[in-house]
Amino acid sequence: MLKQLKNTAELSEEEKSLLARVGYQGEESRAGTCVLVDQSVRCASVGDPGVEIMPLREALIQYDWVQDLMFGLVDPGESDHIKQAAEDVHDPVGHFVRVKAGAKVRLPVQTFSLIETPQGRQFLHNITVIEEDAEVDLISGAAVPSGVHSGHHISIEECYLREGAVCRSVSIEEWGADMQVHSYARTDLARGAHSISNQILMTPLKHHFSQSRATLAEDAVCNDRTVIFAPAGSNRTMESETLLKGKGARSESLTRMVTAGGNVVNRALIVGEAPGTKGYLGCDGLKLTDEGEILSMPGVLAKTADAQLSHEASVGMISEEKMAYLMSTGMDEDAARDLIVQGFLNLKEQELPPTVRMALEKMIAAARSGSM
Amino acid sequence: MQGTLQLRDVSISAGTQPVLNAINLEVGEGELHLLLGPNGSGKSSLLAGIMGLPPFRVTCGEILFRGERIDGLPTDARARLGIGMAFQRPPSLEGVTVRRFREVLGASSSHMAEAEALDLNSFDDREVNVGFSGGEIKRWEVFKLFLQTPRFLLFDEPESGVDLEHIAGIGGAINRMAHSLDSEGARRSALIITHTGLILDYVDADAGHMMIDGRVVHSGKAGELFAHVQRRGYKLPVG
Repeated sequence: MLKQLKNTAELSEEEKSLLARVGYQGEESRAGTCVLVDQSVRCASVGDPGVEIMPLREALIQYDWVQDLMFGLVDPGESDHIKQAAEDVHDPVGHFVRVKAGAKVRLPVQTFSLIETPQGRQFLHNITVIEEDAEVDLISGAAVPSGVHSGHHISIEECYLREGAVCRSVSIEEWGADMQVHSYARTDLARGAHSISNQILMTPLKHHFSQSRATLAEDAVCNDRTVIFAPAGSNRTMESETLLKGKGARSESLTRMVTAGGNVVNRALIVGEAPGTKGYLGCDGLKLTDEGEILSMPGVLAKTADAQLSHEASVGMISEEKMAYLMSTGMDEDAARDLIVQGFLNLKEQELPPTVRMALEKMIAAARSGSM
Repeated sequence: MQGTLQLRDVSISAGTQPVLNAINLEVGEGELHLLLGPNGSGKSSLLAGIMGLPPFRVTCGEILFRGERIDGLPTDARARLGIGMAFQRPPSLEGVTVRRFREVLGASSSHMAEAEALDLNSFDDREVNVGFSGGEIKRWEVFKLFLQTPRFLLFDEPESGVDLEHIAGIGGAINRMAHSLDSEGARRSALIITHTGLILDYVDADAGHMMIDGRVVHSGKAGELFAHVQRRGYKLPVG
C-alpha cells in the first residue's frame, strides 16, 4: 500500500508530464518515489515494505549510522563543490534511499530532481544503501520545464551496495541548454555485490562535469553503460575511476558518444589492485558533423600480475556504406542516419521505459535537424 | 513490350575509375536474368550502378526503370520506385535489431512464414548482419527483400557461402518472390549474379548475360549459357 511521507505534497500534472520524459511513472507503479524540486523534497512515498525513502535531513536524525555514510565515500577536499557542501551550515538537501536486507523489490524505485526556478541553484546530497542480498531497480532523472534554460545543479551521490546486493539502475537527464551541472558520484560495492547501470545524457547542456568512482570488493561486479549525445553548444567532461580492490572483482564499462557539434571529453580508468580482477573499457565516438570534438582517453592500470585489463576506443563518422545499405531499402537519408545513431547508442528497448525511449528518439532526430 | 529495366549504352565509374563500358541490357516484366562472368568482370559494379550505391555512378548512357530515367536519382529514390537489392557483403549494423529494422521499414508481419522458410524466425533480437554467418547473411538479404516488396530484384551471388541444407530454402524463396505479384499486381523481374549456378535448380531464368572486362559480351538463353560456361569457362560462345 502506498504511503505518502509527512510534510510532502503531490506533484502537479505538469510536473508529472515533464518527469515522464526522464522515466517517471505514477507512484502506484513504483516501490518508492522521491522528487526534489529546487532546494526541497516535494514528494516522497513508499509502496514496498522493503524500501525506505526520506529526506536526508530526516534520515540523519532517525538513524545515527547515516552520519557515518555521509562523506564516507567522498573526501570534502576533493573539489571546491564538495568542500562547500561539507562546510554548509544549512541542513543538507537530498534523499536517503534504503533497501532492506534480503528484500527483492518487485517494482522500481524512482528518484528525480527538478529545477523550476529560472537561474536556480540546486545543491543536492543523496545517499543510497542497498543492504545485504537485497535486489532493486532504480530509475533516476533530472529535468527542467521548457521555460528554464539557465541554472546550476551540483550533486553528490554516495551509493553503498552491501554484500550480495544487486542494483540495476537507469539515469536520464534533461537539462536546460544554458545550464551548468557538476556531479560527483561514488559507489562502494561490497563482496559479491552487483551493479548494472545505464546513464543517458542526451540534451544540450552548456557545461557538464561528471566525476564518478566505484570501488569493488571481492567478487563484486560492475557493468555500466553510458550514452552521451552532444548537440552544438554542449560541453561534457566525464571522468570515471573503477577500482578493482577485491580478489576476482570484475568491471565492464561501455561509453558511446555522439557529437552533433558539441564537445565531449571522456577520461576513464580501471585499476586492477587484486589477483584475478578483470576490467574492460569500451569508448566509442561518432561524429555527425565536422564541428565538435570527441576526446576519449581510456586507461588501465594493473597493480598485480594477473589482473586482466583491456580497453578499446574509436572515433569516426557515420559509414557511407551503412547509409547506402539502408537507403537501398527506401529509407531516406534522415531515417537512415537516425537508425544508425540509435543503433550506435544501443538504446535497447528492454533497458528503457517506453516513454523515455520515444523521447530519446525524438531528441536524436531534433539534434540531427539542428532544432535542438 | 517495354522492359522493366533498360540500360542503354551505360558506362559506370567507381569514383573516377571507369569500370563498365557501353552496357546494353533489357529485362522485361516477369523475367529473370542471370549475370555470369569471372571475378573482377564488373558484375557487382553493374548491380551497384543500377542501385545507385556510392562510389558507383553512371558517366554515360541512361538507365530506365518502368520508362523513367533513374540514373540521376539518389539510392533511396530508386528503392522507393521499386528496386531492391540483396547484397553480397552487406555492412554490419551494430545496435540495430532485425525487429527495429522491420519497424522503420514499416514492413507488415505477413512475411513471417518466409522468415520461417529461411530459418530466420528467431532473428528479431539479433543485430542486423552482426555475427551472422555467411549463410545467415544470404538468407537475411533475401528476407529483407520480402520486407521491402520491390518490383525489381537484384541478387548479388545469393547462394555463395550457403550450406547445401539452406540452398533449397534460398532458391525456393527467390523463386516464390520472383513469381509473385507486387502491390500493383505487376509481375516482378530479377537480375541475379551467380557463380555456382546452384540457384538454377530452383529458379527458371529466362536469359543469361556474360560479362568480361566490364562489358556484356554475350546474351542468350540462361540454361544454355550456363552449360557453356561449365564446359568452356568464360569463353565467348561461337555462333
